[in-house]
Amino acid sequence: MTSSNIKEISDLSPDSGLAIINSKAPFSSNNGKDALDVALIFGSFEQKVSLFFQGDGVYQLIANQDGSLVSIKDYLKTFSAFEFYDIDDIYVCQQSLVNRQLDENFHINDVQVLPSSEFASALNCHKHVLRF
Amino acid sequence: MKTLAVVVTTPPYSHLTTSALTYVEAALVAGINVIGVFFYQDAAMHANKDISIASDEYQAIDHWQRLHKEYQLPLHICITAAEKRGIVCDSMGDVQVNKAFTVSGLGELVELTSKAARLVQF
Repeated sequence: MTSSNIKEISDLSPDSGLAIINSKAPFSSNNGKDALDVALIFGSFEQKVSLFFQGDGVYQLIANQDGSLVSIKDYLKTFSAFEFYDIDDIYVCQQSLVNRQLDENFHINDVQVLPSSEFASALNCHKHVLRF
Repeated sequence: MKTLAVVVTTPPYSHLTTSALTYVEAALVAGINVIGVFFYQDAAMHANKDISIASDEYQAIDHWQRLHKEYQLPLHICITAAEKRGIVCDSMGDVQVNKAFTVSGLGELVELTSKAARLVQF
């Protein structure tokens, strides 16, 4: 937990748009891609959207994966376009990384790793939540 | 006026869909303004007129149609989710899309989310 994280979260108003929770591994189901489609649409309509990665969903952020090896369109590449859709608030559950022995080696920048309580507070700042 | 939007992601043959139906009907009976139900992922299958579920099983599609008729409840399906599941949604495809459902896109979900006081996902 860094002081910049504390500031960032308190900056979120209690009515901070839509939160999308990603809770599934990237290539085990369509959930990750379906969640991405929703995020990009909200972004293109200039609606505020934040992304939360929790449980097996944290695997979606791990670097050096290639879905094409298992004949799946590598939608993870599209994550690098988030900034063009003004999707700046991306949170990862630290405990989920620890439980899976994953390093904070992500394929996109500006991801905020948060302890469970801060992760929950950040989520609580959103008016609506969708979970995939 | 309380406004509610609902997102359904489960297929018509899933028992989880009954929770969504029971919830939406309870809201309508309580006088809550349900501004729309958005069918995403496997829930898009609800709009397939050709689906036939054994008569002794729960008829989720019939119940959605009933709520649509009784309460003018808007039922939106995601076109991308529907087409990927074999539901033809072009103008020729009207024969396959159940009339109670409106073919929409994710833009409709944005609209519902911005209008609704609450958004509930099943």
